[in-house]
Amino acid sequence: MVTSMTTTTTSSSTTTSSAGVSTANANLTPMDNASAASAAAATGLSTTGSGPSLAPMEPVSAPALHPLRRNCAGTPARDFCAWPLESFDEMDSTLAVQQMIQQSIRAHVEDVEGILRAPDTQDEGVWKYEHLRQFCMELNGLAVLLQSECVPETCTQMTATEQWIFLCAAHKTPKECPAIDYTRHTLDGAACLLNSNKYFPSRVSIKESSVAKLGSVCRRVYRIFSHAYFHHRQIFDDFEAQTCLCRRFTVFVTKYNLMSRDNLIVPMLEQDLEAGESEA
Amino acid sequence: MEDMKESHGSGEEGGSGHGSGNNGLGGGLRGGSNGGGGPGGVGPGGNLHYTIPGILHFLQHEWSRFEMDRSQWDVEKAELQARIAFLQGERKGQENLKNDLVRRIKMLEYALKQERAKYAKLKYGSEGVAHLDDGSKALGDDEELPPVDGDNYIAVSNVNWRQGRQLLRQYLQEIGYTDTIIDVRSNRVRSLLGLNDANNVNEENRANLALNGGESHRTRPDGTGAHHPAHSVRKGVTTLAEEMMLDTEASVLANFDFLSSEAEVDDDDEMNDDIDDGYNPQEMKLKASKLAQAVTEAEDKETEDVMNEFNFLTNTDNVDSIKSAGGGGGGGGGGGQAGGPSSKDVPKGLSGVGFQQTGNGAKTNQLLGGEKQQQQQQQQQQREVELGNNLELGELEQLTIANDNESSYDISAPKEAYRKTWSAKYTLRSHFDGVRALGFHPLEPVLITASEDQTLKLWNLQKTIPAKKSASLDVEPVYTFRAHQGPVLSLAISPAGDYIFSGGLDTTIRCWQMPSPNVDPYDSYDPSTLFTTLTGHEDAVWGLSYHLGRKQLLSCSADGTVKLWSPTAPSASNLVRTFGNATEDGGGATPTSVDWVQDDPTKIVTAYSNGSCVIHDIESGKLVIKLDTKSDSTSAVGSINKVVSHPILPVTITAHEDRHIRFFDNHTGQMTHSMVAHLDAVTSLSLDTNGLYLISGSHDCSVRLWNLESKSCVQEITAHRKKFDESIFDVAFHPSKPFIASAGADALAKVFV
Repeated sequence: MVTSMTTTTTSSSTTTSSAGVSTANANLTPMDNASAASAAAATGLSTTGSGPSLAPMEPVSAPALHPLRRNCAGTPARDFCAWPLESFDEMDSTLAVQQMIQQSIRAHVEDVEGILRAPDTQDEGVWKYEHLRQFCMELNGLAVLLQSECVPETCTQMTATEQWIFLCAAHKTPKECPAIDYTRHTLDGAACLLNSNKYFPSRVSIKESSVAKLGSVCRRVYRIFSHAYFHHRQIFDDFEAQTCLCRRFTVFVTKYNLMSRDNLIVPMLEQDLEAGESEA
Repeated sequence: MEDMKESHGSGEEGGSGHGSGNNGLGGGLRGGSNGGGGPGGVGPGGNLHYTIPGILHFLQHEWSRFEMDRSQWDVEKAELQARIAFLQGERKGQENLKNDLVRRIKMLEYALKQERAKYAKLKYGSEGVAHLDDGSKALGDDEELPPVDGDNYIAVSNVNWRQGRQLLRQYLQEIGYTDTIIDVRSNRVRSLLGLNDANNVNEENRANLALNGGESHRTRPDGTGAHHPAHSVRKGVTTLAEEMMLDTEASVLANFDFLSSEAEVDDDDEMNDDIDDGYNPQEMKLKASKLAQAVTEAEDKETEDVMNEFNFLTNTDNVDSIKSAGGGGGGGGGGGQAGGPSSKDVPKGLSGVGFQQTGNGAKTNQLLGGEKQQQQQQQQQQREVELGNNLELGELEQLTIANDNESSYDISAPKEAYRKTWSAKYTLRSHFDGVRALGFHPLEPVLITASEDQTLKLWNLQKTIPAKKSASLDVEPVYTFRAHQGPVLSLAISPAGDYIFSGGLDTTIRCWQMPSPNVDPYDSYDPSTLFTTLTGHEDAVWGLSYHLGRKQLLSCSADGTVKLWSPTAPSASNLVRTFGNATEDGGGATPTSVDWVQDDPTKIVTAYSNGSCVIHDIESGKLVIKLDTKSDSTSAVGSINKVVSHPILPVTITAHEDRHIRFFDNHTGQMTHSMVAHLDAVTSLSLDTNGLYLISGSHDCSVRLWNLESKSCVQEITAHRKKFDESIFDVAFHPSKPFIASAGADALAKVFV
């Protein structure tokens, strides 16, 4: 009796459970079929969808019309980006401004004025933005050079002249970072800000409120120049000779009034700048 | 003794008279007096001195004793009934729990099945494609089904839950055992979920024993005195049985299973109605329950089989077989029944007929059962309405929440299963210029990108910032690698996840230690992250590939050489070997891409800008085979941008500037397949770990996913914008997670899931 009683209980529960299984199955089965089928349909559609797009393959006409501006794998360093110049009007890419800036830098790195001369129809916000991107990118080169010499032991603080100690704004509470950390953090922070989906969602048009952010970025990254100039003069001079970056930057911020004159403390450019202005 | 017997009998008569209000009490009392040897023992002692007061005293004494016994039995009975109700409630709860768990199992099975289907598709993709043509017409109808079914499914399960809960509540109210039951139940839940509580189980066993003991007491009088009418006894039993039936019916109803109703409920009903007099209903019931047990056992096995096979489609067959098994069981039970009561005064034929009726009339019973079920359902719904949510049962409320969660799971599960297409999830924006190369951490959801802006960045895909009004998430880099003085062109990541190698236009190869994915992005600079720099190339380094087992790195450069390095060795002996340009005809060609031959770590495959592709032996430095790239009928084979070796098969795959992807056999060097894969130059290739899928990136701005079995395009994703005439530089599969990534000239990297 004992056993029969217990087994009855369990068996009735298994009855229900097995019934549960079958109902679950019954419900699942069609869904299962349909899902497999629809999944198959999805792949089928994409397969067939891609088929026609491949089929009417046009002959390779593009290269015949204009030389491919492309760095194929295996391109030697001397040929890197060494393609014929393209006029700004012919650039149909959304990245035309960056293309234009980089192209003119490669053509004549010392022609600061020429590089900064915006095409007539160009929106000024985007022009400034793209230039600042280019500055930050090229400053990576200076940061790499500084990494070899600017160590926390010698440059415990971010300073240029003795007047100011700059606090690193990358942290929640501004911190007195060593110069090399300040440099890296500032560049990383600038990269995040300038690529922020919130402030700069598009590289074609930029909100006026976001353009206002460019000034503070300029002020911060300029300190990298000033620190290098006052503390690592050799590195600065070599880098400047190669890129004219500080000169271009100074002209840039002056032209677009992104920084006050007082803050431009790297002195050797003053005469150049004045000379340029008097010429103009 | 005869007097004694008479008085005994009269006493009992009186007792039954008093207790007429209580059904089944007399049976219990009688059973007890028969079972106990008490009266027999007292009898011989009283024979010695017969005095009227003595006899009266004795009778009074006996009377009071019986009365006491009776009240004791009363109490005991009440306790046992409470116990029964309690256990039934518990059983009900467990059934619900079990149904729930079974449902979960089903969901998991379903998910597994989907996974298997997916796997099968990956493996035998051609079949899937073949099916498409057949199934494509029916798709329109089928596609509409799943959501509907999903709804039904959830609705049914919810009804189950609610009914179960209502029943439980009812029981709990009736008994007043609410708190203890809830405790036991939650304990039970815990024990079922693996936190086994031994005490709890013991208690339950004891309870079972007690219940069964009571049961056996009751059955005895039936067995011994079958000729007594014993109506009260039977009523007592039937109330119990009815309760059980209600219970089973309810569970049956909850599951809408006509089979069990056929086996248990209707059989019992029929017997109660048809074979009423002179027949012992309890034995019937026992038999019936045994029968039900047999049926359910059969059913159980069947379902187990089903579970083992994970085959949902055979389920309908299964139901049929259960039906027949049930019929057979019924027949067998009928036979046994006919033999059992033959010694009593029960007409054989009647019981036989009764059983045959139930056996044959299974279908009518189904219908009857269905009607009954409907009635029951209505009743329960009414009850539900009546009860409402007045009861405050904390634990049960929680159950509701759990149930809600589950239904949401039910909804999301099919979505998971449908997901065959990749969609953009993360946009990695922080580079200032084109992203030339990227690679995943072998285990973590971590990506490393190498860009023309002279940096490499490490991204932790788990550290995201929700982007405004878009489904894709923004990720900010957690570490920036600065050392190259010029664009970074190539990247290799150790399959152990410890090292990163990057090659640049500045001719150097930098070897980095993998930073922690959780490093503070604004931590202080640690120069030791760059643990060594490999110098030796005289021009841009365009291709890198690291072999974990050999701890060796291959690099190819625009200076025309391929070099083999041991980057972790002392710096003096970093360079192991240099391979010059081995192509006879290609003096001016430069190597563009290099990879290890995956199934033979002593060989490497190198692709050249003139379209040649060769396999070298790294030990001897000799050329092993030259892949027959020139055999393609199309006039001139374009420069190869990327070469990859299949992880399992001896197959080499090349991406060409002339829009082709070509496949070669490593042993014969023959081209096995050639296809126009993109609208523009193919720049990059990546194979998944199992070698079933290939992704390719092209300057036509698209990433394409290829089924390697059928060489068909499974998906095309437009991922990046053009800068000059470049668009996509690199693509990658995550080695262990469902991620793919693409790197573009627009300074973005994208991750797809």
